[in-house]
Amino acid sequence: MVVKVNKLVKRYKDLIALDHFNMEVKEGEILGLLGPNGCGKTTAINCILSLLNFDKGEIQIFDQKMTPNSYEIKKQIGIVPQEVSVFDNLTVKENIDYFCGLYIEDKHLRKQYVDEAINFVGLKDYLKFYPSSLSGGLKRRLNIGCGIAHKPRLIFLDEPTVAVDAQSRNFILDGIKRLNKEGSTIIYTTHYLEEAEMICNRIIIMDKGKNLVSGTNEELKSMITTTEKIVAGFSDIDEEKVEQMRKLPHVIDLVKREEDYIIKFENGINNLSNLLEFIKDNQLTYTKLYSQLPTLNDVFLELTGKELRD
Amino acid sequence: MTVYKYFIKIALRNKGIILGYTIMLLVFALIYGGTGSEKIVNFEETRLNIGVINHSNGELSNTLVEYLGKNNNIVGTKEDEDFIKNQIFLQAANAVIIIPEDFEEKVINKEQSIEIFRDDRKVETYQTQNQINKFISFANATYGKGDFDLSNVINALDNSVDVNFVKTSNGANQDINRWFKFYYNFVSYVILAIYIAVIGFVMNDFTHMEIENRRKVSSKKFLNYNQEIYLGQMSIAIFITSILILGSVIIRGSQLSEVHFSKYVLNTLVFSFSALCLVFLINNITNNKFFITGMSTILSLGTSFISGVMVPQEFLGERVLKIAKFFPTYYFVAINNKDIVSLLDVRYEIFMQLLFGLGFLLIGLYFSKVKQKS
Repeated sequence: MVVKVNKLVKRYKDLIALDHFNMEVKEGEILGLLGPNGCGKTTAINCILSLLNFDKGEIQIFDQKMTPNSYEIKKQIGIVPQEVSVFDNLTVKENIDYFCGLYIEDKHLRKQYVDEAINFVGLKDYLKFYPSSLSGGLKRRLNIGCGIAHKPRLIFLDEPTVAVDAQSRNFILDGIKRLNKEGSTIIYTTHYLEEAEMICNRIIIMDKGKNLVSGTNEELKSMITTTEKIVAGFSDIDEEKVEQMRKLPHVIDLVKREEDYIIKFENGINNLSNLLEFIKDNQLTYTKLYSQLPTLNDVFLELTGKELRD
Repeated sequence: MTVYKYFIKIALRNKGIILGYTIMLLVFALIYGGTGSEKIVNFEETRLNIGVINHSNGELSNTLVEYLGKNNNIVGTKEDEDFIKNQIFLQAANAVIIIPEDFEEKVINKEQSIEIFRDDRKVETYQTQNQINKFISFANATYGKGDFDLSNVINALDNSVDVNFVKTSNGANQDINRWFKFYYNFVSYVILAIYIAVIGFVMNDFTHMEIENRRKVSSKKFLNYNQEIYLGQMSIAIFITSILILGSVIIRGSQLSEVHFSKYVLNTLVFSFSALCLVFLINNITNNKFFITGMSTILSLGTSFISGVMVPQEFLGERVLKIAKFFPTYYFVAINNKDIVSLLDVRYEIFMQLLFGLGFLLIGLYFSKVKQKS
């Protein structure tokens, strides 16, 4: 086991930030730590990395107890913090060299690693640029370059795609997959569901300092009753028709969101054709009609009664 | 030594601050050095133009006028205040004295006896006051049985001494020494300002929470990291102090043997140590860039002002000096202003600066512990 967290408790005075939090990460995994803002993801990572003291529980990394002085363990860990944490007064290359130098003493090896990291994050054309002159996306890449240059076995990425454009986001996500392919185990925290679905082998959903569920994307979705969602928009529909729609076979919930109706179904393979038939019979005009498979947001919604993005 | 290497690199990226203060010091030193750079080796007699209005016309007053006439030129004047003031303003007379009718009586009773109008623009006119005071004191001393022994007074006043200006007991030429005092007093201001700003700014970068967290997560041992940081601070401090000492050598290198140069060097090194400890304390209290900039200005200018860098300590009030004693700058300036025979003469001031340094260091360590715990 690369990381094993057992019944971790962290309190800030009266606030319980982590409430008997458990986590296990296997070698070669990309584990997604998913949850709304303030659910305890960053606190959990900071405790695991010994940046924060905790009140109860046990943390093991590479089967050894993790403490602030576990330098041998730390050698194999890389971190990409949520904030871009680099020196404004150092260039791109100097920044990566500095952070790599905190792990790698040997000059020649470090030079090789720094060059490789620069290539990896695609900053070769910006070597002498200062961070202040880089765009948001490039700054994020630099942040990643500083965290992975020393080729760690275990990498913590704390919301690395916050506030970046789509192009940089894709570049970063591809990079994470490549790091994983090259042998790194990755713990990835995010509140973007699509990202977690896209790159994580396994996901832990957190809320209020607890891990609610964990499993693969499919395992999590199979835990909920909703199997299909149909989004429909009508130009002319009254309350009576809405109520009739609610009574269609397999409908478990119907909610109005802005101008659209979201109809949730459990099981049933002809949900969309049933709905179309209902529209035809009642001579309704629809402006929008499409079917969706459940997302992790639905999983979170069913488990907590609230949206993940709230 | 990655941490050390990048500490120095970031520090030198603040070279604008280092250059700015150093150039200011050198320019001031050059301007100050432009006056009185010659060695004083002799004195020249100055004769003043003095106007006399004698209402007494007694033996005593006439002897005084005669005595003043020996060393000065007596010029005509008029008993009209506006006329006298114009005469002095136009430098037709350097001073005008009015001897009252009851001059002798006033001298006997030791009362203010003569009214003097002086040209305050000329320091030499104090000489007139001195000559009159001296005459009256001597006259008073010879007064007995209702008479003055004026021949004795004139004899006494005629005795002169030959003054040969050689060197002070410590071998330092006062005029050159004055320049070094000015230069090194000013160095204290520059050292404090540069140390707090440059080292403060670099430490602000290194102690930024997210960057600090990256370091904490790394395999770099805390002790090694701190060693490199302090080595970086010391290197920058030594570099800056060396430039400042070198500045004095470049400007007045040929006159080093005329002053107690080792006193200035030792004093500057000790002051640098206590300034570095003060920077350590400040950096452990805050890593707010605005606060550091403020401290750099307030502490350097403030302590310089109250400790006698800008205004000589002799002109500062007792209360101000009492406050100044709570800062090492006071003792640094005191050493610069002191004429010494050996370095042992400044042991108290050196000890006080070291004590301040140690105090800052201990308080800094305390805050460092508190910060670590929080």
